[in-house]
Amino acid sequence: MYKILSPRIGVVGDKFTPPEYTNIEALLEYGFIAEDTTTKKSAKTNSDEPKD
Amino acid sequence: MATSTYLSNPALTINAVNLTDQCTSATLNQVVQSLSSSAFGSSDNFFVAGTTMHTFEVELYMSYAASETYATLAALVGTQTTVTISPTAAGLATPTATAPKFTLTNCYLETLPLIDATFSELSTISLTFTGGTLTTATS
Repeated sequence: MYKILSPRIGVVGDKFTPPEYTNIEALLEYGFIAEDTTTKKSAKTNSDEPKD
Repeated sequence: MATSTYLSNPALTINAVNLTDQCTSATLNQVVQSLSSSAFGSSDNFFVAGTTMHTFEVELYMSYAASETYATLAALVGTQTTVTISPTAAGLATPTATAPKFTLTNCYLETLPLIDATFSELSTISLTFTGGTLTTATS
């Protein structure tokens, strides 16, 4: 997952989905995008175990 | 007099980076190499289709600032990348039949002029991407 850092790629802060055969390393090296380390936590669900 | 013309104003990306505002010339050629199938018995030449060798040539203003020309291209020399171009900026985002978007994937950049400077002129560089697979989107 990557996020956009340069308006030449798209809206800054948006998630970047690289088109096919994009050189990701080049975009990372020169600061066009960054790896998005923030991962979405899944929502808690109720346990299926029956209550006493 | 031509009844329908096109005032050159394309939009383009190189490796997903939009460099339209740095570009002054762009040429995308769809090339299918010709193989001679001529033979004795006729004085005419005949050809059949061989392999493709598409080319994408651009002229860009050089800038060494962040997120500009040099930063976009520096790591692409000697590698394959993807370029896109459309006759209009709208077509690049949403291609249509009258504003198609051409994509050349896996094209190769052999040469990057690191400095091309002339006294009293804005520096520009010329690039040629070769090979790759050409696709056209109209929707």
